[in-house]
Amino acid sequence: MIGFVLRRLLQLAPVLLLASTAIWAMIYAVPGGPIGAIAGDNANPEQIAAATAQFGLDRPVLVQYADWLWNAIRGDFGISIRGRAPVLQLIGERLPATLQLAVAATIVSLVIGIPVAIASALRPGSWLDRVLSGWSALALGVPTFWLGILLILVFAVELRWLPSASAYVPIWENPIGALRNLALPALTLGIYVSGILARFLRASLVSELRADYVRTARSKGLPERQIVGVHILRNALLPFITIVGLMMANFIGGAVVTEAVFTYPGIGRLLIQAISTRDYPLIQGCIVIILVLYIAINLAVDVLYAYIDPRIEL
Amino acid sequence: MKKIASRTLSILGRLLASKGSALALIFLVGITLAAIFADFLPLNPVGQKLANALKGPSATNWFGTDELGRDILSRVIFGARTSLVTAGGAVMIAALVGVPIGLVAGFFGGWRDAALMRFVDVLLALPAILFAMAMIAVLGRSQAAALIAVGLTGIPSFARITRAQVLTLRKRDFVTAVEAFGGTATYNMFRTILPNSWSPIFVQVVVLCSVAILLEAALSFLGVGVPPPTPSWGEMLRTGKSYLHEAPYYAVLPGIVLTLTILSFDVLGRALSGLLEGHRDPVIAPRGEGATP
Repeated sequence: MIGFVLRRLLQLAPVLLLASTAIWAMIYAVPGGPIGAIAGDNANPEQIAAATAQFGLDRPVLVQYADWLWNAIRGDFGISIRGRAPVLQLIGERLPATLQLAVAATIVSLVIGIPVAIASALRPGSWLDRVLSGWSALALGVPTFWLGILLILVFAVELRWLPSASAYVPIWENPIGALRNLALPALTLGIYVSGILARFLRASLVSELRADYVRTARSKGLPERQIVGVHILRNALLPFITIVGLMMANFIGGAVVTEAVFTYPGIGRLLIQAISTRDYPLIQGCIVIILVLYIAINLAVDVLYAYIDPRIEL
Repeated sequence: MKKIASRTLSILGRLLASKGSALALIFLVGITLAAIFADFLPLNPVGQKLANALKGPSATNWFGTDELGRDILSRVIFGARTSLVTAGGAVMIAALVGVPIGLVAGFFGGWRDAALMRFVDVLLALPAILFAMAMIAVLGRSQAAALIAVGLTGIPSFARITRAQVLTLRKRDFVTAVEAFGGTATYNMFRTILPNSWSPIFVQVVVLCSVAILLEAALSFLGVGVPPPTPSWGEMLRTGKSYLHEAPYYAVLPGIVLTLTILSFDVLGRALSGLLEGHRDPVIAPRGEGATP
């Protein structure tokens, strides 16, 4: 088990290293360089010189890179230019909000996606199957930001049941308040992802239904409910774990748009603010942290998968 | 040439035979024509009349007016131009870079394959929307930046699909025959393998159009896409969202056009995939919420 994790880590390390190097190099290559952003566009030569010395930008490029990388490995992404606070602290304040939304959205997508997939897989080609496949296509095609706007219009503007802007309320402090704030963003993200999940699970259920063990179970006279619920679902859900994991990983960074629709204070909104104020250390920090989480979740999924399915060698 | 024309016609005929893809095709042709000839239509996307601001749909302004009294329908049609040009350009960049990468990686294998595919993996390491945002942070906000950023996120899918196609063709007799007669690798890749790989690449072009339009709109919605005053669908939804109480149609109507465009490309892509390759669902890895954001 430990060997498996280490091997996967060794495979992932180069991707992480290359990607973070690319992020660093991209920012370094900004016209005017990072110094323009730090000192401001109207800085006089003395201010520029002072800022250059302060941030060590007069050193050779490779030394700067090595320094940045070493600090990044230790979790130090420098000080935010606008926020005047350590980048890691700013990200740490926003991360719980994003994680809470990611978990809620995953639950919504499973609650919608699994029944839809089972219902349409049991009778492939039936009218129900076609209606539900249409639903999946719609869930995938409707832009999340427009869906979010529609949900706000219905539930916040017309019915006034839920707030149109969602604050972050930790669920263990105030469960009702947290759910009220999470409902619309989680529904928006969850509906989109339920389309992917339903499509994927339906395909794997349909292929499992044709497997030999299903015929054996039927010929033994097992009730259909037991065949589907116990035998098929267990096998079909295995590859499904990978997809759910990928979705979770995607939520961390990909929820940018949903967070913007509901002005939800997650890491995505932090990144947008960082980009619009050209806060380069914060941009680098946000992207690297998202990348690390993304890769960590992928690794966790691989390990979980190998743990559940004994056919995969550890 | 005649053969290609008749094949195109037969595919077109079969597309029109199915209700869904016929509707999608008609919608896309309609919106493309409107975008091309927008200058000749009685439209005014910039004319401001503050007294006329935020008026609901009427006989003169079918989609109503925005916060500056501009006609929303005009802006939606001129926004179609922005969306289609950005998405089309982005898909072209993605194909022009991605297809050769896939060709070389699949044809030679070995270290070239490993190096090129690692490069592609790095592009895939981040959700598309984040990657595009990071690119725009570097390039500055402009239509060209949006086009390039969206285009770069599309490279991996072209590279992978082309590579997979090359791998299935690489050991076929007509390819080894060219090699045996002394045809160069370049000749073999571009004149022998590529012409036999058009179907999946073409399907990917259509599928990626829907992804690119969605991504461009998402960037504009976040305020980092095509800068105003150029009309764009994402930007209209962004502004419309501030007027949900006074003018709900402002965000809803442009959103319908955006959604129909994305869905049409998606329906068309899946229909083409069925016709050209014989299966129903093209396998595209979902990325981010915008991919697929």
